[in-house]
Amino acid sequence: MSKNYTILDLIRRNRTPLENHLIDGLVDGRVSRRDFVRHGSLLGLSLPLLGRIGMAAGLGGMPTLARAQGAPGATIRVASSVPAATIDPVTIADAGGLLVMQQVAEFLCVDGPDLVLQPALAESWKPNDNGTVWTFKLRKGVKFHSGGEMKADDVVASIDRLADPANSSNALSVFTGILQRGASKKVDDYTVEFHLDAPNGNFPYMLSSDNYNAVIIPASYKGDYEKSFDGTGPFRIEKYTAKVGASFVRNEDYWGPKALPERTEFTFFTDMQPQILALQGGQVDIINQMPVLAGVALLNDPNIDIISLKSSAHQQLHMRCDEGPLKDARVRRAIALCLDRDKLAAGLMKGRSALGNDSPFAAVYPSTDTSVPQRKQDIAQAKQLMEAAGLGQGFKITLTTERYLEIPEYAQLIQNWVKEIGVQLDLNILDQSGYYGDAVFGKSNWLDSVMGITDYGHRGVPNVYLAAPLKSEGTWNAAHFKNKDYDALATSYIAALDLEAQKADAGKIQKLLLEETPVIFGYFYDYLTATAKGVAGVQPTAMSQLFLDKASKA
Amino acid sequence: MVFLGGQVLPGNVGRAILGPFADQRAVDALNHTLGVDRPLLTQYWSWISNFVQGDMGTSYIFRSPVAPFVIDALGNSMKLAAVAFVLVVPIGILGGVVAALNLNRPLDRIISLGGLSVTVLPEFVTGIILILIFGVWLRWLPISAAWPRDAGFFTQLYYLILPSLPLFLVLFGYIARMARSGMIEALDSDYTRTAVLKGLPWRTVIWRHVLRNALLPTITVIATQTGYLIGGLVVIETLFRYQGIGSLIFTAARGKDFPMLESGILTIGIVYAVATLVADFLYSVLNPRIRLGSDQ
Repeated sequence: MSKNYTILDLIRRNRTPLENHLIDGLVDGRVSRRDFVRHGSLLGLSLPLLGRIGMAAGLGGMPTLARAQGAPGATIRVASSVPAATIDPVTIADAGGLLVMQQVAEFLCVDGPDLVLQPALAESWKPNDNGTVWTFKLRKGVKFHSGGEMKADDVVASIDRLADPANSSNALSVFTGILQRGASKKVDDYTVEFHLDAPNGNFPYMLSSDNYNAVIIPASYKGDYEKSFDGTGPFRIEKYTAKVGASFVRNEDYWGPKALPERTEFTFFTDMQPQILALQGGQVDIINQMPVLAGVALLNDPNIDIISLKSSAHQQLHMRCDEGPLKDARVRRAIALCLDRDKLAAGLMKGRSALGNDSPFAAVYPSTDTSVPQRKQDIAQAKQLMEAAGLGQGFKITLTTERYLEIPEYAQLIQNWVKEIGVQLDLNILDQSGYYGDAVFGKSNWLDSVMGITDYGHRGVPNVYLAAPLKSEGTWNAAHFKNKDYDALATSYIAALDLEAQKADAGKIQKLLLEETPVIFGYFYDYLTATAKGVAGVQPTAMSQLFLDKASKA
Repeated sequence: MVFLGGQVLPGNVGRAILGPFADQRAVDALNHTLGVDRPLLTQYWSWISNFVQGDMGTSYIFRSPVAPFVIDALGNSMKLAAVAFVLVVPIGILGGVVAALNLNRPLDRIISLGGLSVTVLPEFVTGIILILIFGVWLRWLPISAAWPRDAGFFTQLYYLILPSLPLFLVLFGYIARMARSGMIEALDSDYTRTAVLKGLPWRTVIWRHVLRNALLPTITVIATQTGYLIGGLVVIETLFRYQGIGSLIFTAARGKDFPMLESGILTIGIVYAVATLVADFLYSVLNPRIRLGSDQ
C-alpha cells in the first residue's frame, strides 16, 4: 500500500513536534504499527485519528474493535475474591474490592487489554513540551448515579484526595515524586491541568485504570463509600453485602452505549477451588481472575473458555547487593544463569507466560528493546563465574518468600537448579503477612532477607517497577541495589515523552540490569479469566478489572 | 490471651488493609484514624469495657459495627451445625446400636470399618468429592451453601444438605463407635442379664435398660463436638462459600481485626459453655445417680 503524503501533511499541520516525531517514526518504519497506536494513545491522539494516520502511511486501517453484539438483557454471574476490607476508593488495594468499585465508578482513561489507553471520562489529553504539565479535556454530559454532572471540580477533588499524604491513600505510592496535593488545577469546568514534580512521559497511565484507585467520584465525597457506591459507570449498585456478594443493574442514564446485561451478580469466594467448582457446576458464568496452577483443571475443559491477557505481572527474585556472597555481581549472574526459563514458561506456567530477561521490561511494553539478547540457562558459564568470584565450592543461603500463587513451586525449581553450581538453598516459605511484615526496612522479611521472591501485579507502564524496587532510595528496594548510573537512566526513561528516546533508555537499562542482576525476572505471567461457553463480550484487564457492559449469554 | 496473641503476629492493621506496597505515610495515617496506634492497654480497655456493656465494637477492616457480622455468622454456623447434628446423631447412634447388636458379624464390621474409614478422610477431600458428584455431574444439589436472599426454611435446608454431608462423614464413625462400645458394655452388664432373666421382652430391655446407660458417654462426645461444629469449620465454610463464624474469625485473625477476632472467639466460647451445660443436664436426666440435689 502506498503512502499518501498529502493527507499525512494535512494531519501533521495541527500536531505538536512530539506527535509529528511519532508519525515520522511510523512512516520511516522505525516504529511498528502496534507501538505507534499504543504510544499515540498515550500522547492523547484519538483512535480514529491514529487509524487515519495508519491508512495514510500505507499500513491499512486500524484493527476494528467492533464485534457481533450479543443479546441484551442477560444476568451475568461472576465469581471473585472477597473484598478484603471496606470499599473506599482512597484506601482500597485488593482485587475483590477493586472489582466491585470498578463496576460503578470510572476512570479518566482505561488501560485496555492491549495497553492502548482508551478515553473514558476524559475525551483527550496532551502534555506540554517537556512533559511537566498534562492537560485533560473532560467529557461533557456525564452524570453521577446520585444525579449531579461530573465536572472539573470532581476530577480535581478525586485526584487531590489520592495525592494527599494525610488521607491514607493507597495511590500515594504511585503519586509520590510525581503529583502532589494541590497540583491538580481546574482550568474550566471541562479542563484540568496536572502540574507534575518532574517530567513524566507516561503520566496518563497514572490517571488511568492502571492506577486502580483513580476513579472519579463527586467532590463532596466524605468517606463511607459503601453507603452510596456513587460513580458514573454503566452499572449502578443494587445491593452490596460485605463478605457475601454484590449485584448491579444497568444504568439507563449512562453517557455511552447502554450496557447489554440487565443485571450483574458478583459472588465472593475466599478460595480458588470453590470458584472452579461453581463455574463447572454452572452456578457462575465467569471467574474473574484464575491463577494458572489453581486453574489447571479448566485450561483444557471443553465447556470453558479462557481469556488470556499478556501482562507484566511477575515474581521478582531479589538478591542482596550489599552483603553476603550475593554482593558479587558475578555470583548473582551465575544464579540467574541456572534458571531454565523455557521450562518455567512451558512447565510451571503451562505456556501462559512470557520469558523474562532480568529487567522489568516485559515484551508487552512498546518501549522494550527487543534486540537485547535473552538470558538462557548456561550452567558452564555459571560455574566459571562462581570460580572467578572465589566461590567455586559453593555456599549455603536462605531464600525467604511468601505462600502465594506458584511461588513455592518456583522456589523449589530454583533450589534444584542452583544445586548444580554448588549453591545450597534453604527455603523459608511464609504466610503473606509474615513475609511482608511492616513493609519497611528493618521490620520486613521481604525487604531484609538476603534473597526473596515477591509477587508484583501488572502495570501498563514499567515506571513503578523501575523506581521503587530498583532505585537507590526506592522504598521496595529489597535487593539493596545502589547504582548511580541506573538511577540516572531510570529518571531519564521516566521523563522521556518520545517513544524512541524511551526505547534507547530501556535498552541501556536492560543491559545494565543483565550485568548487575539485582533482581531475577524469570517470567511475566498471563492474566487468565475463565468463562462458561456461550458467554461473550467480557473484557477483563490485567489489573483485575472486568468490563461487563458488552457481555452477553448465548 | 487473644489480644496479646494478635500483637505477636507480624504486620499491623493499616498495612493489612493497604497492602505491602502502600506508602508508609498512608499506613500511619490509617492506623491513627483507626486508633490502633494507641497503647495496647488503652485499646484493650476501650474494647473490653464496651464489650461487657454489650457493644462488640467496630471492625477495623470493615469500619462498621462488629455485632451484625458476628450474629449473622453465628446464626449461619448454628444452622449448618443443626442440620449436620440432626443427620449424624440419630444415624450415628443407630449405626452403633445395630453394630453392637450384631457384634462381630459382617454388618458390625461394615459399620465400624466404614465409619472409621470416612472419619479419617479430611473434610476438604470428602467435600470436593461430594461437590463433584452431586453438584457438577448430577447437578442435584447447589455447590455453594449460600442460599439466595429471602430464601425460606426449606430452600435453606436444601442448600445446607451438601455442606453437612462431609461433617456427617467426619462424625458418623466417631459417634457410631462410641455408641457401639457403650452398647456392648451395657449388654454385657448384670442389670441387662437380670432384666432378660426376669422375662422382660427384648425390645423393652434394649429401650429401658440398655440404651439409657449405653448413651451416656456418647452424649459427652456429641457435646464436645458442638464447639467444632460451630466454630471449627473453616475448611467447609471456605469450600462451600458459607459465612460461618469459623471463617469470620480466620479472616479477622489474618487482617489483625482485633474487635472482630475477640468478639468472635468469645462468642464461640459462650456457645461451647452452653453446649457443655446442656450435655451435663442431659446426662443428669439419663443418669439419676448424678442428678443434682438428689439425696443419694
